[in-house]
Amino acid sequence: MKNEEIPSHIVDLALKMGATDVAAKLTESQRVMIRFSNNEVTISNAFLENSVDVFLMIEKHRAATSISTISLRSIEKAVKNLIDVAKATPPADIYAPLPKGPFTYNPNLIRAPKILLSPDELAGHVESAIKGALEEGAERTAGTLSAFKGRVILATSGDVYAIQEKTGIEISIRAFLSEFATGHAVSIAGRLKDFKPEEAGRRAGEIAKAAANPKPGEPGEYMALLGPMVFADLINQVGILSSAFLVDAGQSFLAEKIGLDVASKNLTLIDDPTIPGTIGARAFDDEGVPTRKNVIVDSGILKTYLHNSMTAKKFGTETTGNAGIIVPYPWNLVVEPGNKSFEEMLAEVDDGIYVTNDWYLRYQNYRTGDFSTIPRDGMFRIKRGKIISSIRELRISDNMLRILQNIVGLSRERTWIRWWEVEVPTLTPYALISKLNFTKSRM
Amino acid sequence: MEELATFIIDKARDMGAEYAEARLQTDIRESIILKNGVLEASALEESRGIGIRVLVDGSLGFASTNSIRREAVEKALKQAFKLARSTSKLMKRKVSMGKGDLGSGKFEIKPRVKFTSVDLESKVSLLKEADEKSLEAASSLNVKVPARMATLDNWVTEKLMVTSDGANVYSVTPRAALFALITVFHPQKGPVQRYFNLGETGGWEVVERWNLPKVFYEETSALSRVLMEAIKPPEGEMDVILGPEVVGIVSHESCGHPSEADRILGREAAQAGETFLKPDSIGLRVGSPQVNVVDDPTLRGSFGFYLYDEEGVKARRRVLIKEGVVNEFLHNRETASVFGVESNGSSRAVAYNREPIVRMANTFFLPGDYTKEELFEDVKYGIYMKNFMEWNIDDRRFNQRYVGLEAYRIENGELKELIKNPILEITTVGLWSAVDAASKDLEFQAAYCGKGDPMQGIPVWTGGPHIRLRRVRIGGA
Repeated sequence: MKNEEIPSHIVDLALKMGATDVAAKLTESQRVMIRFSNNEVTISNAFLENSVDVFLMIEKHRAATSISTISLRSIEKAVKNLIDVAKATPPADIYAPLPKGPFTYNPNLIRAPKILLSPDELAGHVESAIKGALEEGAERTAGTLSAFKGRVILATSGDVYAIQEKTGIEISIRAFLSEFATGHAVSIAGRLKDFKPEEAGRRAGEIAKAAANPKPGEPGEYMALLGPMVFADLINQVGILSSAFLVDAGQSFLAEKIGLDVASKNLTLIDDPTIPGTIGARAFDDEGVPTRKNVIVDSGILKTYLHNSMTAKKFGTETTGNAGIIVPYPWNLVVEPGNKSFEEMLAEVDDGIYVTNDWYLRYQNYRTGDFSTIPRDGMFRIKRGKIISSIRELRISDNMLRILQNIVGLSRERTWIRWWEVEVPTLTPYALISKLNFTKSRM
Repeated sequence: MEELATFIIDKARDMGAEYAEARLQTDIRESIILKNGVLEASALEESRGIGIRVLVDGSLGFASTNSIRREAVEKALKQAFKLARSTSKLMKRKVSMGKGDLGSGKFEIKPRVKFTSVDLESKVSLLKEADEKSLEAASSLNVKVPARMATLDNWVTEKLMVTSDGANVYSVTPRAALFALITVFHPQKGPVQRYFNLGETGGWEVVERWNLPKVFYEETSALSRVLMEAIKPPEGEMDVILGPEVVGIVSHESCGHPSEADRILGREAAQAGETFLKPDSIGLRVGSPQVNVVDDPTLRGSFGFYLYDEEGVKARRRVLIKEGVVNEFLHNRETASVFGVESNGSSRAVAYNREPIVRMANTFFLPGDYTKEELFEDVKYGIYMKNFMEWNIDDRRFNQRYVGLEAYRIENGELKELIKNPILEITTVGLWSAVDAASKDLEFQAAYCGKGDPMQGIPVWTGGPHIRLRRVRIGGA
């Protein structure tokens, strides 16, 4: 049986065996990843996989499975087993039938641009990124280049049958001038023409060079200029924790905040998978519902959580096209731009700190949004609108809602960010945050 | 399995590989998610496939496929070769695989009660009973529990790994794990949260032994008391006693990670970062003579258990810090070759489709010779941090922060009132140097350690006794 026929076959099989609702998703995926450090390749990886995810309901009884051995016999066995599991599973509190199609999908989102996975070509991108960083003065570099192509074939008992192509190419490069003087940049793209590895390398190299000879930073509250990589990390928190499932689980500072001001009016955050050619573009969600542009935060007001049909029923609303069968999820986050240039924002800071990257964000309390994260790579002291020195070893220890309320400006310029620390592709500007709290280790 | 692995190794040798390994791995997992007392879904996940790693012209190539048909596996092998060859021009230092105590044999952890022999309803009932105990504990203190999440996972990993230089190890390892996030709330006090993990190697008997209803009752009860009773913590310099949960995470973050040889060589520099330790740091004093931290994959029943690593090297206890001095790094065969030592069996991969890299297993502070009471009775003024919620550490593993959850003030050796979120923000050497005593007890916690690209969240234990720090600063600035 061809891959294109397998999801529908599973749906028919499960319905015959007594399921009321079924969604079957076959994913074909080829990914090549080249990892490098100390200006040389450490390993090259190729991941070649086809897998099938099946979700079914017998009304309130739900069960899900993934199948990695794809043969008619193993599929039949897995579906039969899953029916037995669903029957044995105690009922959930609600029954939300899978959305009824057929639906119409945007053809520009169904198809993806061509990306070649030629090892020589990909190695060339790595070389040009490293070259860019070294030419800007870096001593050494490390990072990852990843390119992928694949298809998702989805069939559901709601008369959905759809095929989505997916492609992308990404590089994440960190440049080192010394142990303490580092810079990091990324380039991610759905189309090869938007992919700029050398530029990413140069950017990382520039930051590393500017970060030379850092002095210990002093704790306190500062006006902070956050680079796109830091702001993307914070915005990912808002996007991911706007999932209705996580709100319900107590894992979100956005709980009970619909219709309220959660941020300054400067922030408008959209989940927009409808931009063709971007890495997070997709035409339909895991229930087959056409994706759409969802404004999560509109001029500071929380407008919606992200839903699948199950969370929507629980919350008394409609799906937003963000299924995740169990946990709804953002696809492609976009922050609306501000009206200032980076230089204008810098000039506005009388006494502050510019942070270019961060990692290790951990919550003290998801529900209140108390957390800390650690700036890494170039961090700079700003006085009277100018960068006066490179600093190190501070920690951002604050509250997510307080930070969102303290956004005083965003740049016109925006960058797509996704890397090891930032999960969801995010188009983000620089952000100016007032009274950001920095702490440091003693002893 | 054996035949396919041999086919790959022979083929790789014929193609000119300097080294090749094949790992056939199947993970079959069952998960139950209970949210606010209601079952969200039960899930069965099968992950089955093969990971092939080859060393060609001094360059490493890895390829994985979940099709175990010969032609698909051969295609993956060719892809690994092609990648390794294409990128070898970007190699200055050729990779080589160092020595290690290579093994062969079959190892199976046999559960006393197989997960498959327990019906789903019993598993769900147990989680529901635990959830009800949470509500009961909170209600007795007039506290609400508006949000509860619990997932109960069990999975069995079956693995055959074969290398071109003679390792051939088959293993079967069952694991059980629980994750819980509990939010307690009072209108005048707001919300407080706690999450915790339990995890061991074994079958359903492990889950039964955990006594989840009791654990959930006690955790929620303690959390409710923190919510209702905790007051502002003291700030400034004082003695601090850390409980095993905190000592475990400190040992993992501030000793285990810095000791990973691949990190020392810069291999993870763009992701999980580097370390303050350098290749010549063996012998460097980083703490007081009371500090002894080890990593040991061979602990029976542990979450990070294994007897042979993913390169076929026999696992053993690694003494990372001995009496305050850096003693040994964690090595796989690649880093061992660079350092001119033998691998100590630290190569792990979370699934068939991940390259094996240097990892911890069960990292813990060795117990000392004090009783717990003796540790406390010598503290005139200080705090006891029993567990934590927020933590992080910089990417050189030098500046860290632990925010206590259940924590108490200590006065003249006695535990006083609960205090709210005391903050220990300190350097690695500052923390280890302040240790003046460790108790005789030893407890472990389960965790998933994140490292690698693509990310590999791997099961580990962290642990230790109670330890006493003299004159460290508590406070958040």
